[in-house]
Order: sequence, then C-alpha cells, then structure tokens
Amino acid sequence: MRKLISFALLLLPIISNAQTKSVLIMNATAHIGNDSVIQNSIIGIKAGKIILVADTKNANFDKTSYDEVIDATGKHIYPGIIAPNSTLGLTEIESVRATNDFRETGTTLPNVRSLIAYNTDSKIIPTVRTNGILLAQITPRGGLVSGTSSIVVLDGWNWEDAAYKIDDGIHINWPTIQSRKFLDEDNIYPGPFEKNKDYIKQTEILKKLFADAKAYNETEIKEEKNLRFEAMKGLFSGTQTLFIHSNTVKEMVEAINFVKQNKIVKVAIVGGKESWMIADLLKQNTIAVVISRVHDLPTYPEDDVDLPYKLPYLLQKAGVLFCLNNEGDMEAMGARNLPFLAGTAAAYGLTKEQALKAITLNTAKILGIDKTTGSIELGKDATIFISTGDALDMKSNNVERAFVKGMNIDLNNDQKALYEKYKTKYGIK
Amino acid sequence: MKKIILLFLAISTYLITPAQETFPINGTANKNHTVYAFMNAKIFVDADEIIENGTLIIKDGLIYAVGTKINIPQGAVIYDLKGKSIYPGLIDAYSSYGMPEAKKSFGGGTPQMESNNKGAYGWNQAIKSEIDAIKLFTKDSKTADEYRRLGFGTVLTFQKDGIVRGTGAVVTLDENRENELIVSEKAAALFSFDKGTSTQDYPSSLMGSIALLRQTYLDANWYKSDKTKKEINISLDAFNALQTLPQLFETTDKLNALRADKIGDEFKINYIMKGSGNEYQRLDEIKASNCKFILPLNFPLAYDVEDAYDANYVSLTDLKHWEMAPANPSAFEKYFIPFALTTSDLKDKKDFWKNLRKAISYGLSEKQALKSLTSIPAEMLNISDKLGKLKSGMIANFIITSGNLFDEKTIIYENWIQGNTYKLFDYNTVDIRGNYDFSYGPERVLHQLKIEGDLDKLKATMSTDTAKIPVNIIVSGYSVSISFNTKDPTGTIRLSGNISTAPLKMSGTGQTVDGGWMSWNATYSSEFMSVTKTDSTKKEKIKYGQVLYPFCAYGKQNDERDGFDKYINDFKTRYEAILIKHVTVWTNEAEGVLKNQDVYITEGHIVRIADDIGAPRLAFAKIIDGTGKHLTAGIIDEHSHIALASVNEGTQSSSAEVQMGDVINSEDINIYRQLSGGVTTSQLLHGSSNPIGGQSAIVKLRWGKSPEEMKFSKADGFIKFALGENVKQSNWGDANTIRFPQSRMGVEQVYYDAFTRAKEYDAKQKTFAALSDKAKLTATPFRRDLELEAIAEILNKKRFITCHSYVQSEINMLMHVADSMGFKVNTFTHILEGYKVADKMKAHGVGASSFSDWWAYKMEVKDAIPYNAAVLTKMGITTAINSDDAEMGRRLNQEAAKSIKYGGLSEEEALKLVTLNPAKLLHIDNRVGSIKVGKDADVVLWSDNPLSIYAKVEKTIIDGQIYFDNEEDAKMRVEIQKERARIIQKMLEEKKGGAPTQKPIMKRKQLFECDSMQEDYLEVR
Repeated sequence: MRKLISFALLLLPIISNAQTKSVLIMNATAHIGNDSVIQNSIIGIKAGKIILVADTKNANFDKTSYDEVIDATGKHIYPGIIAPNSTLGLTEIESVRATNDFRETGTTLPNVRSLIAYNTDSKIIPTVRTNGILLAQITPRGGLVSGTSSIVVLDGWNWEDAAYKIDDGIHINWPTIQSRKFLDEDNIYPGPFEKNKDYIKQTEILKKLFADAKAYNETEIKEEKNLRFEAMKGLFSGTQTLFIHSNTVKEMVEAINFVKQNKIVKVAIVGGKESWMIADLLKQNTIAVVISRVHDLPTYPEDDVDLPYKLPYLLQKAGVLFCLNNEGDMEAMGARNLPFLAGTAAAYGLTKEQALKAITLNTAKILGIDKTTGSIELGKDATIFISTGDALDMKSNNVERAFVKGMNIDLNNDQKALYEKYKTKYGIK
Repeated sequence: MKKIILLFLAISTYLITPAQETFPINGTANKNHTVYAFMNAKIFVDADEIIENGTLIIKDGLIYAVGTKINIPQGAVIYDLKGKSIYPGLIDAYSSYGMPEAKKSFGGGTPQMESNNKGAYGWNQAIKSEIDAIKLFTKDSKTADEYRRLGFGTVLTFQKDGIVRGTGAVVTLDENRENELIVSEKAAALFSFDKGTSTQDYPSSLMGSIALLRQTYLDANWYKSDKTKKEINISLDAFNALQTLPQLFETTDKLNALRADKIGDEFKINYIMKGSGNEYQRLDEIKASNCKFILPLNFPLAYDVEDAYDANYVSLTDLKHWEMAPANPSAFEKYFIPFALTTSDLKDKKDFWKNLRKAISYGLSEKQALKSLTSIPAEMLNISDKLGKLKSGMIANFIITSGNLFDEKTIIYENWIQGNTYKLFDYNTVDIRGNYDFSYGPERVLHQLKIEGDLDKLKATMSTDTAKIPVNIIVSGYSVSISFNTKDPTGTIRLSGNISTAPLKMSGTGQTVDGGWMSWNATYSSEFMSVTKTDSTKKEKIKYGQVLYPFCAYGKQNDERDGFDKYINDFKTRYEAILIKHVTVWTNEAEGVLKNQDVYITEGHIVRIADDIGAPRLAFAKIIDGTGKHLTAGIIDEHSHIALASVNEGTQSSSAEVQMGDVINSEDINIYRQLSGGVTTSQLLHGSSNPIGGQSAIVKLRWGKSPEEMKFSKADGFIKFALGENVKQSNWGDANTIRFPQSRMGVEQVYYDAFTRAKEYDAKQKTFAALSDKAKLTATPFRRDLELEAIAEILNKKRFITCHSYVQSEINMLMHVADSMGFKVNTFTHILEGYKVADKMKAHGVGASSFSDWWAYKMEVKDAIPYNAAVLTKMGITTAINSDDAEMGRRLNQEAAKSIKYGGLSEEEALKLVTLNPAKLLHIDNRVGSIKVGKDADVVLWSDNPLSIYAKVEKTIIDGQIYFDNEEDAKMRVEIQKERARIIQKMLEEKKGGAPTQKPIMKRKQLFECDSMQEDYLEVR
C-alpha cells in the first residue's frame, strides 16, 4: 500500500517550494554560455541570483554562508537551455484535437496570446526539463500572423507564475511563392507544388496590416479601439520582436525589405533553411536567425548531405547571430532533444561552446532576455543545471540537479515513474 | 520480269472480284477501280530496299506493283514524281484515336470496397479486359488530319483506361466508313499499372496494381481450366481471349518497365513496353528484359533558369534529363533493342518531326527511324503482311515527299491512305526562290525582289534605294500573289499574276493603294543561295553528359562505359580488397571492443582481424589508416520506408498479397543519405494502414544498383502486420468508418478469420499438390490465392511477422492469436508499451524494434517511455531501435545512444540495438550485424566513438565495396555544382535562341510549414 502511495505521489507533477535556498556548487567544469569554460569552478547562488562565478583557485568564498554546498567534481554545469519557438504547454497529444491550443482560426491574429493557454501541468514539460531545458518561448502557429508569444520558465504553479517575459514577440508566417496543393489529381495527399497564386494578395495583407497598425499607433486619439493594432504597438517602439517564419531565400529577401520599409526595430527569421545564401544581407541588417531543426534532411537532393547539420556553422562563419529551435514533427515532446541539436552542430563545425551558446546565450539575446539569463554570469538568474557528463551528447547528458531562478526543481516525470514501476515489477535494475 | 508478271496475275485474280458491301446507297452508285501509277520516284520499299526511278501502281486501295520496269496498265492515271520520294505510310503503334474519353465519376469521399461495374464482370473495376476498342471506335477527322499531316496512315487505337485495358484495333486514318478503316480488329492486348477511372479503392498503390495483375493471371488460368464452372465471369473470359494477342504494357518510368517485365517473366509473357522516355537511365537492365519498346518523343522543354534562386528548384535529374532525353532512341539503337516510335505523350503532335530530328541529331540513324515508324510497329502488331512496306498486295498507304523524309527542308506533299489521297502541299507548285528584277505601276522603277525560305513558307523582301520592305508572297500551282506596304501613299499594294518557267518569270496586274489597276512583272536574275552551310556544323555530334547511377545527384558514372557506345577495359578505380589499419573494432562478438586492429576485407567478406596485417601483395588493396577511428558493423534499420515507390495498400483489411519488393525505388536520394549515416541494410516495410499489410523487402543499400540487385539475397520473407489506431482508422476523419475493423475488437477477428481461411487453403493446396499429374487433370482445379498463400507461409514458418503495435492490450491479443493458431510473432515494431508486457513477450519469444524516445504524438503512445528499449533488453528480449523515418535513419547510432542515457545500457549493448539485434530479428545475423571473420564486409568507419554525437561516418562499406566515402562526397559536391552550371548555361543559350521554356517548380517531398504529419502518422507510425 505504501508503495502505491509513493507512486501516486510520483505521478503528480511536483513543483518546487517558493523558498529558494542559497547554494554553492564546487569543482564542476562550468560552461558559462558565452564561449568560456572554467575547468574547476566555484559558483554561488543566493536569492535566486548568481553571486559568484570563479575559478576555485582564485576565488574567495565562505562555504558556511550557503544553505547547501554541492561537490560537483567531474561534473558539468550549464546555463539553463532555452527552447525558442516552442509549442510546449500548448499541446498534449498532437493527434487529439481537444488537446491542441497552438492554432487559432483566422489570418491575422497579432492579438492572440499564447501565454494564457500555456498549461504548466502538461505531462510533457517535466520530460523536457529533465534534459536541461529550463526556459521556453511559447509560440502560436498558423495563419499569416499567428499571434504573440511569451517566454516562460519551465517551472511554476500556473502561467502567471511561469511567465518570464510576457508578450515578447509577434510571429508571422511569410507566404511562400510556391505552395503545395493539398491533394494531387487522384485526390491523394500530398499534391504537387505549384505557384502560389495568392502570394501577392497575402503579402499585401501583411503590408497593409503593418502600415495600418503603425499609423494607428502613431495617432494619439483613436476613434475606435483596434485590438489587433494595439497588440502590435511594441513592434514599432522596439519593445517587441518580430519573428518572421520563412525558410526560402526569395521570401526572406522580400521579408527583409518589408521590415526595413516598416522600420521595425527588432527582427528575427525563424526557420531560415536557406539563410546561408543571404548571410551578408542578414548581417548588414542585424537580423538574427532562429535556425530550423538541425536534425533534418536537406531540402534538395543535390544539397550537401549534411547541410542542415552545418547550417549553424555557416552562419557562425558569416557572423550572423543565430540560435537553434525544434519546430516540426513532434516538436513539443522533442524539445528535450534540443541539446543534441547543438551537439550535432558541434560535430559539424561549431566548437562545443559555440554550440552551447546557440541554445543559451544567443537564444537569450534574440529573445531579449540576455540581461538576466542565458549564461552563468554574475547577477544573472540562477537558472542552471548540473549534468554528470557532456550535456550536448545523448550518451552523457544526465541532469542531476536543476535550478530555476535559484529554486531547486524536481527532475522526476511520469516516464521515470513508469520506468521505476516496471523495474520493480520485473525485479530488474 | 517473268516473276513480276506472275505476281501481277496472281494479284489481279485476287482483286478481280470487286468488293461487295451491305450499306444501301442514296443516289447512284459510284464504283471506281482506277489504276494509279506513280512514276520516276525514289521508292523506299522499306528502310533497307530503295528503288531509284521506280514505279508504284495502286488499285482498289492496294498496292498493285512496285518496281522499275513495270508495264503501266491501260487507262491508268499517271503521276510523274521525278525528283520526289515515296515512303511507306507511317504507323503509330500507340494511340487513342477515335476513342471516347473515359470519364471518372466522383467517388463521394467514402470508401468503395466493390466494383461499380455492375453485371457478370470480375470483382475489380480496374480490370477492363472486356473493353474492345473496335466497338468504341468512331473516326475523328480532326485528329486524323493531324496525324496525316505528319505522314501517318495507320494507328493502333485503344481506350487508355485501367490496369487491363482490353483489346486494341489497328485502323487507318482514311475518311471512309469505320467498317472500311479497320485493318486488324484484335491487334493487341493493353495493360498498365494505372487504375484509371476506376473508383474502387483497391488497388491504391503500385504494389497493389502489380498484385492485382498477378492474381488476375492466376484467376484467369484457373477459370479456364475449371470445367465445372460455377460462375460466368465476362472479364476473365475476355482476359483469356487476350492472351493470343501482342501484349502491350504502358510504363511511366524506366523502373516500371522493369517491374512489368518481372510480371511478364512470372507468367511467360514478353510484353511490348510502351516506354516513358527515360529508359536510357537504366539501359543495361532494359536490354536484359528482352522486351521490345514503343518510345515516345516527349522531350522536356528547357527550364527558365535565369533566376539563380528559381533554378534551385530544378533537380540535377531534371537538368540532365532535359539534356539527355533526345538520346534515348539512339541509345536503344546502339544497344540493339528493337523499338517503334510514337507520337503518344507529345503535348502537341506538331512537335513530332522537330523532336524526331532532334533524336537524329543525337545519333539516331535515319534508317532506324524509318523502321521504327513503319516495319517495326507493323511487326509488333502482326500486320506486317499488310502494312509497313511498299510491296504488292499490301495496303496502299504511302507518302510522297520532296526528298529525304528526315531532312528539315523536306515537304510531305501527299499522304495516300487505302488508295485515297490527302494533299498536304501541291508538288506542282513552282520553286520560285531566287532574285528578281521587279517593277510595277506606270513608273516602272526597278526594284530587287528576293524570294527565299522554305517552299511552304516563302520569305521575300524588296529592296528600294532607301529601304528593305518585307513582302508577302503566296504561290499555288502557277499562280502567285504578292503584297507589300508602301509609305507614300500609305497602304498596301496587292499584285496577282502567273508564273512561267524556263526562263522563270512572273507577271500580272494588281491594285494600287487608291484602287487603281496597274501591271507588274518580275524577271529571274540570279539563284537563291540557301543558307544551309550551317547544316554541316549542325550535324556535328551533339555532346551531352554521362548517365549517373542512379540518375540523380550523388549518383555515379559507370566507368565501364563511355556514353552508350563502348566498353572501357581500364578499370582504374577498381580495388579488390580493403585493409583498414590500426582501428578500434567494435566486434559485437565475445571479444568486445578491440583496440589497434587491422581488418582485411576481400571478395565481399571480412577475411582477417589481427594486430598487424601486411598489405597483401596479390590483390590490389585499398589501404585505409584507421588510427583514432572506430569500425563497427553496418547499421541495420529494421523499420524503414525509404527507397519505395509506394508504401500503403490500405484499402482492404488484409493486403498480404502485395510485395514491397515489387516497388523498390533504387533512385531515392535517401539511400545515399542513409549511407552517410552508416546504414547498410534496411527492411522496407509496408505501411500500417491495415491489420495485415504487405510483404517486406530487405535490401542492402547498394546505391547505384538496380532494385533487384539491392535485395538482400536469400533472406527470409517477412510481412507487416499492424494494430491500433491506424488500422481502425481512428484519425482518418469521419468519412472513414466503413472498412472493417473500426475497433481493437475487430482487429482480433481479422486475424482469426485470415488465419482460419489460410489454414483451410493450405490444407486444400497440400491435398491438391499430393495428387498425381493424371489425377490433377480431372480434379477440380485449385485456385491459387496470393493473399492466403502469404498468410499460409506464416503458418508454415516460411514468412515472419513484423507487427506495428503500441498498447499492451493489443500486443497481448496478437500473441494469443498466434499461440492458438500455431504461429509465432517474430517482431513487434514500435512496441512502445512493450515494457508493460515484457514478461509475456519473453515467454512468447518475440523480439522488439522500437523508437528511442518518441511519444505524445497520438493517444496510443501517451504511456510510451524512453526506457522501453532498456527494459526490454534487460528482460532478455532481442531489441532493436529503428527509424521509420528517412531523417532519423541516418542518425540511428545517436538514437541507440539514448538507451545509455535512458535506462543505463552499456555502450556495446546500445550499439547492438542498431546492428546485431536487428540482424537477428531479420534472421540475417549469420551474414551481417557483427565484425567477424567470414561475415559480409558490411562495416562502417567512424571518426569517433560511434555512440557519441560527435561521431561522423567516414566510410560505409557494403560487400567490401565503399558506397559512402566522405572524401569522395566532398568531391562530388563540387562535381554536382559544375554539372548543374554546365547544363544551366546550355539552357540559357537555348532560351536566348528563342526556344520555349518551362517555369521551375519545386519537387521536394516535404513542405516547410505544413501539417505533413497526417500521412506519416496515420499510415506509417
């Protein structure tokens, strides 16, 4: 009976105590997130912030002033990984419509906000943070303007609690010049590609929306309130980022002209499979790229077979700011593989620390949260984790401890519980 | 001479009785038995026999005589064809001339399990063996005219609809009553893989079409031999009647031609293949099929590649095909494969001559071209006694030309069909091309008039002191009309007149701009200089790239051949052995991981593993330094859908009769991509849309080889089963609630029913097989059923099950069905809740092939855990990690490594999940899956620990041959760009030259932001 009770407890998502303890982590290899590594580090956390980062040899510290001292000899410490452009918490089981909250009906929906649909009790979230992912940009999908995203920490009683940066950006799907018909002539899915007859019409909708919204927000006295235009205010004032989802080169070039004309301050391309072809243009316009899933097939048969793997390296070489994301099939549950996307990028050109940066500090910069998170630096949030081995490699990624804003979070999940249950049933180790 | 007379007499007697007819006449009869004699012509009796200055005599629609010294019968109409040529009328062996269009009715979106063809016909709507072209044929003057203008006199026509398309008829393009146009009422039987207008669900896939065709042959044979018929089946009767005819099979791709040939081999039929035009890409296999072909001339237009970004949409395959397609007919000629040519597949028939001439400029001989349009199609259609040559007694179908039929300048003057003439251009028209002194009106100012161009398209210009004025000139017989614009006054001057020859002169009257009449004349002054000098450069052999195997990016040239021409004997790149030195070897055997080893490979096998092996002296060995590198057995993907032309035949709850081996696509770039991830063997599985899917194909990823060569030789047969949401169509929308089963309860009954019937079938078959040959003759014939036969093989332990499965209840269920019906489940694939019934699986002795960490994509995977593979392994179950996904397939080492993280397997255990264990599940571990002396040399050289995310594949070796080489790959990337650039330049030239182009369109398999999951989920995962 007691066993049953303990299982029941395990099955509940466990949320950390509101109280944060001060923690000193000693002797770990610290991967700071900004390219640097401290082999034998000492890291102090108090009141949710990082108050000490140093090489053990050079540091002055008082062990006794901390509630807990962790000896992490031989282990690795990392900044919490950030999953940009994610549907985490907006979906539970993709094929069950009732569990999906990431797509609203309509074409231009800047005022639709992901944050209030974010389900902190999603069973998927605990399986993701177990691998070191501690923040996510919760992003709506679909339409020409999908809506407004928000950034959350992956721990919290409710969405208010979890919110890290509310309404950080607006997401648009740039229309494609060639689009795929749903069915072919024999009514078999998927149909062939054809010229998107509505391309001009669709881009005009975007252009008009932005022109109108800009004018609206510049007018002091509004005749009638327009929720859509209101929602876009931050794009023109520079408090919000415009995320343009596009993968093909011609469309990206047009999108860049579009943002220049509309004088939008902060812009990032999401996807950018062909962004390497216009790296200079992106750099000149300081447009960052949230790179599409690295574990992907090349688009064209004649592409380099490792093109998606080395895309991060190509942008690094060109000096374009970029980070990695996991949009695509099974994206919510697959978010736990984000560190391994970085691992592959490291195998194909990036250094390991550059690869780490592509899922931590670079992401924070692109999302506009780098002042407080994204690296293990003094004064930043203590959103970090300890892995017994290299966290970018699946064979050694093993997160023992994780802290979100200094709070020690629970690393159990339903999958571990089921595992334990059946190990016990079979008597295996 | 005597002979000719005798022949003459014979024919005369044969023809002496005028034909009688049944139709009443409105008015007076108009019988006509005129003899026509064509004299002084160059007569092409056929491609081999040419009579200079010959005479052709025809009467009553037949050829009366052909020769040189022939007496012209009295009263003959005589045509002098001096300087002209006569060719046999052309034959198109592939058309739908005069056929009504087969229209598809809209199915309504709900499944249609049965045929809509009501009556005593067969069960499948796509088997239309009873269709008889002759009953549908009505002449169509407009289309006939198009054909006649090209020189055709005869076509094979049939209704292009269905897998079995019934009978085709040979008809002429004459304008008489249909009754008189038919040369052969039953000329050919027609087949294809396309079910056409059939709205019945089955077959929905290529392998379904193939299986249906196979079963139809068996059924027809059984039906014929069953004397105690319990049913009358019009379709099968008609199918049997087709068998004596020439068998024509329409294919839409080179691989489909090989697929059709395979069926032909099984039923001892040598089809005549209607080709698609890309056969040159696999010509050795095409040649080996021993089939004759009917080839289209539908060469693709150049792409508009001026925009560099748009040009990316055009694949190397399409670029190269554009360049090489015109070489297809000449390649056939060089390979000595008999073929006819057809206008079929041309968007516009008018392109026929242009394209044929293009094929000739690519090396097709004129002689072969003529044969392919006359005698060869006649032979194919068994009408060579009537058509295809100009011999007495044959039908009077011929064309009169100004010269060599294949010359661009040549004009077809007349097309005679069944003795009736169709004038296309008047050969009495005088050749007035030349320079003239030209004057008109009262002023009589002398101008220079220059007439040039083609005879049927004259171009003229008039030079005045100040300008060159274009002149319209039309000649008809000895009449001429001329018009041109003047400026002062502004308007058009129109002149008409006569031509007189020797000397050439034109004169007449005409009207001025203001309507006044005047006279004009033009006197020939000097010769027209045709600017044909360019022809010599034009005839220069056209250069084009090499065929790649497969015909796409990263394909390789066959260095044994130079183009389609000759074999080269100098194999510079060949090696007979590989020696890998100082490498860390993951043996997957008791020895474990061995450091600093040398591995020697030759004749496709691993021959030695030792500390230090000297470079062998005899064999030409390639030596690879493996210092710091790792060697593992090749990765084996137990569950893959790459390299297939189609995946699901989900229209019935059981499709055990379909074979994935029939639809292997050797040209899929994903083969190469898997090689780049170290995969050497894959099981290509049917999808999971029905409880009993199709038979699997196990292949080695021998990139460049043909589908048959890719097959893993002597491997056991496997079959796909599936359970759960996909087979009960949970996520297919509300229209799909008809096909049984719709619940897990029904799934069980599908199995009990199938295995019960298969058992009874098997018993019947064994009883029948045991009869003596004599007894077999009198016994009720046994009907082979390919579906039940495949299921019976499972009962007889000759075929093994890979079953798609997710939740514990259904896993348990199938093991119960198996136990009670007397078979074993070989492998549960996906098996994401396997950890819940691991003890039961162990007891049943079944293996598992799972995903590493997938879950939450549908209801039945909500309890999936990434620890599954580890639990199953620890329970002693043979466990593999598979891909089911072309992307993940090339990172299977990483997916295996996740089992170290989730569940704590050792590195060696983890590697076995994607090498030795799947080999065991596929019963091929005696040959592959570990590095052991004597096993197949299917190995991978890695840059790092193969379970590390940082490991990259450097070499993938299959049968001792390197199929992926990172150094070669780097070179190929450059070559691909060079080759693309070369062809793109050529296309740009073509566009500049004014040739029409087509817009580039994306041809990718997947869309960036599309709900592409649907198909993947519902039918595969």
